[in-house]
Amino acid sequence: MSNILRKREMILFITGLAGGMMMFEYFFAVPAVATASTIVRNWAIIISTLALGLGILNAVRLHSGHIRKRTKSQWIFSVWLLGYFVVLTVIGLWNTKFIVYDWSFKYVYTSLSSTFYALTGFYIFSAAYRAFRARSIEATILIVSGVLILLRNAPIGEAIWKGFPILGEWVLMVGQLGGMRTLTFVAAVGLIVFGIRTLLGLERGYYGGVE
Amino acid sequence: MAEVDRRVLYWGIFLVLVVPYLQPLGLPITVQETTKTLYDKIETMGPKNIALFSIAGGVSAWAEIQPSMVAVMRHLVRREVKVVIWGFFTDQDLTVDMVVVSVPELTTKYKYGEDWVYMGYLAGGETAVAQLASDVHAVFKADKYGTPIEKLSLMQRVKSAKDIDLVLTIDTGSYIGYYIRHWNVGKGTPVAEIGIAMQTEWLPYYPANLMAILIGVRGGAEYEKLIGRLGDGTVRMDAISVSHLVVIIVIILANLGYVMTRREKK
Amino acid sequence: MWTSMLLTLATYSYVLYKDTAAFRFAEHSFMATTFAVAVVVAYQTLVSNAFLPIAKGDFSYIIPIVLGLLLYTLPFKRVRWVSRYPLAIIVGVGTGIAIRGAVHAQMVGQVLAAITLPKTPTPMDWFNFFFSLIAFLTSTSYFVFTKEHKGLFKIPTQIGRYMLMLALGSYFGNTILFRMAMLSGRVEELLKVFGIIPWR
Repeated sequence: MSNILRKREMILFITGLAGGMMMFEYFFAVPAVATASTIVRNWAIIISTLALGLGILNAVRLHSGHIRKRTKSQWIFSVWLLGYFVVLTVIGLWNTKFIVYDWSFKYVYTSLSSTFYALTGFYIFSAAYRAFRARSIEATILIVSGVLILLRNAPIGEAIWKGFPILGEWVLMVGQLGGMRTLTFVAAVGLIVFGIRTLLGLERGYYGGVE
Repeated sequence: MAEVDRRVLYWGIFLVLVVPYLQPLGLPITVQETTKTLYDKIETMGPKNIALFSIAGGVSAWAEIQPSMVAVMRHLVRREVKVVIWGFFTDQDLTVDMVVVSVPELTTKYKYGEDWVYMGYLAGGETAVAQLASDVHAVFKADKYGTPIEKLSLMQRVKSAKDIDLVLTIDTGSYIGYYIRHWNVGKGTPVAEIGIAMQTEWLPYYPANLMAILIGVRGGAEYEKLIGRLGDGTVRMDAISVSHLVVIIVIILANLGYVMTRREKK
Repeated sequence: MWTSMLLTLATYSYVLYKDTAAFRFAEHSFMATTFAVAVVVAYQTLVSNAFLPIAKGDFSYIIPIVLGLLLYTLPFKRVRWVSRYPLAIIVGVGTGIAIRGAVHAQMVGQVLAAITLPKTPTPMDWFNFFFSLIAFLTSTSYFVFTKEHKGLFKIPTQIGRYMLMLALGSYFGNTILFRMAMLSGRVEELLKVFGIIPWR
């Protein structure tokens, strides 16, 4: 029995069935299929919720490895990470309003979340200085378009010259539209091709691709 | 100039951002069409209408989206529009708490369960959004606080996308696309976005499928101006002005240096 | 608030100074809180959307819970094959939903939007219409890789490249707005904690 269940054809069958059901439901109004699709979608949502822990499990394994191997200048931080994580999780599962969890969520998580995301502000400034050179016509168009958008977004653009926000608005609402529309269209083509290949069993990456 | 230590640049931009907070510029902000459309839409709504506040952005993006979120929620409450909140980010409780603190009318003027509800977190990405479009009750069995959905009178009016009059997706990624595909194209529900600046990639859908878009902190400042209550968005625009000007100067200087270097080599 | 300020400065010590122990401490604290929040929120969601129906007698919800737990066999080589079943469901459902949505909104919708004539036909509207239509057609021609970009195909694809650069330049400009807004938010909070500017 487990030999049959291990076969990749079983996996591909389930993937194709689930995907086919979703597409059939969209194009044909068959109540039984609609009901079954609703149930399967609910299952997918609940499975996705449980999948959140998978990434965390990997991280726990990684840091446990560091602690076991006493990785230089890392293992102490791994001890802190795992200890803090376990304490917060236990307290959070018991009572999210308890001071340790509540305080960590409000002051540690909030500030660090914003701070780490904001780090990229430094990098983009450095990139603007070091990388944006008008080496070719394409690069020049990119830089000019970017600068016009900057002057459209910042009120100082209008203060310098009233034409900047008008030009910037044109770039945003007309100039970039063709290119963005193409990227959207082409992404859809890629998604459909990849999706159909997945449902037909030609793409195996998601399940490891082995028997 | 090219050999300047990166840390000098980083300190430079850090200090530059401090200046406008100490000496505000107070530059006027012109409201764009993409923002005005949302304002006009909410102005036509009232106590019989239901708006969905879908949180698809984390705490990390608050600096960009918090002014818009708060301004739009203030407008909804002023128009007495009913509000359903749900989201797809694990830290969204903080976002909801922040909105409730910033818009106290949600607890003083509105009654929870009748005028607004917070349904909680949902995993599943596009699958969840598609499922919610057809059957909300199949997904949510209780709100965030454990109250069964049958006991929430507002949710007895919300069974699918057809019962929502306006979707407001607070977005830092692709959820706007999911709502366009499954709520707007699928069910005809108007969809608007309160997004970070990079969400302009969804402008090709405007106005056919995306009725309005508040673009980053600028969108927030514009909306604050429209509702007549200035806030964090307006204050932050001075820092945006100064930082953008510095970036432009830096790009110009870098390119001048590049041109001069090329001429010397020739 | 002093805690958040200290953690912010510890994080920025990485860019403003160098990789410090303070930065590493902040980094690992962030990871720990993120993981804990994810576990707690996932549990709360399961309680209200899965355990509650089971408690009310709808035992069909046991199936997705069991399937979801099977995912945790992924790290173990001998039983890894079991985790493919829940993955198959998630991938199948997600793929089916994505395909059915993409056709109408991303393909048909975009083409219709590109060819829809302006409602108020001022000269500027006509110019904008033809500009964005030509931009769309030429940019799309650039992505045709089955034919070499030579001869008659050379000029449209070249124009297409320029149109794509226009779009990407606009994206870059908006990215700067985003990044600078994020950074200014942190600067604002630091100034408030230090009492240099008032809390509002």
